[in-house]
Amino acid sequence: MPGPTYPRLTRRSFLLYSGTAVGVLALPKVLHSAEPLRPAMVALAFDGDALLAAGSDLLRSDDGGSSWTALPVPAVVLALATHPERPGRIIAGLASGGVALSEDGGRTWEGRSRGLAEGKVDAVAIAAGQPDMIYASVQGDGLWKSEDAGQNWSLAMDRPWLADAERDLLALTSVDLASGMGGIWIYAGTPAGLTRVPDCFCRWQDVQPGDAMDALVSGDAPPSEAPLPAGEPIHALASAPAAPEMLYAALPSGIWTSRDGGVVWSHLAVGFAVAVAVHPVDPDHIVAALDGGLKQSRDGGATWSALAAT
Amino acid sequence: MKRKATVLFGAAVAGLAAIAALAQQQGGEAHMDGVTFLGEPVTADELALGQDLYAANCASCHGADLEGQPDWKRRLDSGRMPAPPHDETGHTWHHADRQLFTITKLGVGGVVPGYESDMPAFEGVLTDAEIRAVLAFIKSTWPDRQRAFQADVTANDEGGS
Repeated sequence: MPGPTYPRLTRRSFLLYSGTAVGVLALPKVLHSAEPLRPAMVALAFDGDALLAAGSDLLRSDDGGSSWTALPVPAVVLALATHPERPGRIIAGLASGGVALSEDGGRTWEGRSRGLAEGKVDAVAIAAGQPDMIYASVQGDGLWKSEDAGQNWSLAMDRPWLADAERDLLALTSVDLASGMGGIWIYAGTPAGLTRVPDCFCRWQDVQPGDAMDALVSGDAPPSEAPLPAGEPIHALASAPAAPEMLYAALPSGIWTSRDGGVVWSHLAVGFAVAVAVHPVDPDHIVAALDGGLKQSRDGGATWSALAAT
Repeated sequence: MKRKATVLFGAAVAGLAAIAALAQQQGGEAHMDGVTFLGEPVTADELALGQDLYAANCASCHGADLEGQPDWKRRLDSGRMPAPPHDETGHTWHHADRQLFTITKLGVGGVVPGYESDMPAFEGVLTDAEIRAVLAFIKSTWPDRQRAFQADVTANDEGGS
């Protein structure tokens, strides 16, 4: 039985095959560079009706996402916060450490990091009803607060202890629901799930039905009926300013929402979600960074449309 | 004429200062008299008892001057939080009377599900009346602002007044 036959490898055919192989290997890179630039967004926020999206650049759209303008931030932005009572005020958490503040919608910036610990600022939030009260999460350190719009900072609380370890705060949002301690809540997303602390900073605790007092005597309080999926990091959190019991969360499994302050959650959109923001007036108007693109919903997440990122 | 006006003005200022000082003094007396716990007035004897009980049972962790453990906002190696101050620099005055009583009697771990704390439960160590006296003593040390804030929190707390 004759064995297999192979074409004779001439010098010319060797060069031809080699050239083809190099071309095939190079193809993905060529295709990649031919794609439109669409950097992954890591943070989103509304400034009034305008949209802010932070990735390798910080972008602003004043026309509902049709066109975008790059803003001159001093460093790569990891987190954004705005406040309905202060249009134009933007707080940015920086990858280089520290926070930056803009009072003109992002056109000009100044550093506001005096007294703040060194380290990447993974999350920022502005207190509901107190536009000068700012919170910042410093990676590997803890939760810091400023009562004067970033002029001075002090440690508010160490990081939460969850699943036998101290956890960084990947997401922060001020939730304007009474804590029962004369203030309101700060909800936080960590690599090990959701937690929250009253703004008196007494202790990190799980979300429980009812107010803090119910949590304290909750030998008889019912457990959360539908918590966020265990074991997933929470990349972003947003509480609707116009309806603070409405929360949105961005997880690797998608966008989730709660209508009761975080006790019962439902799955709104499937995909790898890294950021979510909710409109200051319309709690059903949300934008999300999902699977590398930007999506928008105006009906609380029932239907979504794609937004161009650049 | 000018000199007379100056003297009159000086006398008026001195009079106002005296009135202000008197008002402050009266406020200070009312401050001490006004301590309540769960809506009930607290007597001077109870405050004295509370001070002694605090020194014997609480001061070793929360500080002789209610100042808390050093660096109390930073977690211990055990993962637990140090004892916070009970003075105005801490957060005790954010909690309603009922909540303070429950935490002291049952311990934080007994009332926040799953929360681990070095704070022991004082049930069986102190009577309810003694816990009330300790907490009343702590409340009596707060400045007016913190006392007023905590009074509001207690008033808003269901069953707290």
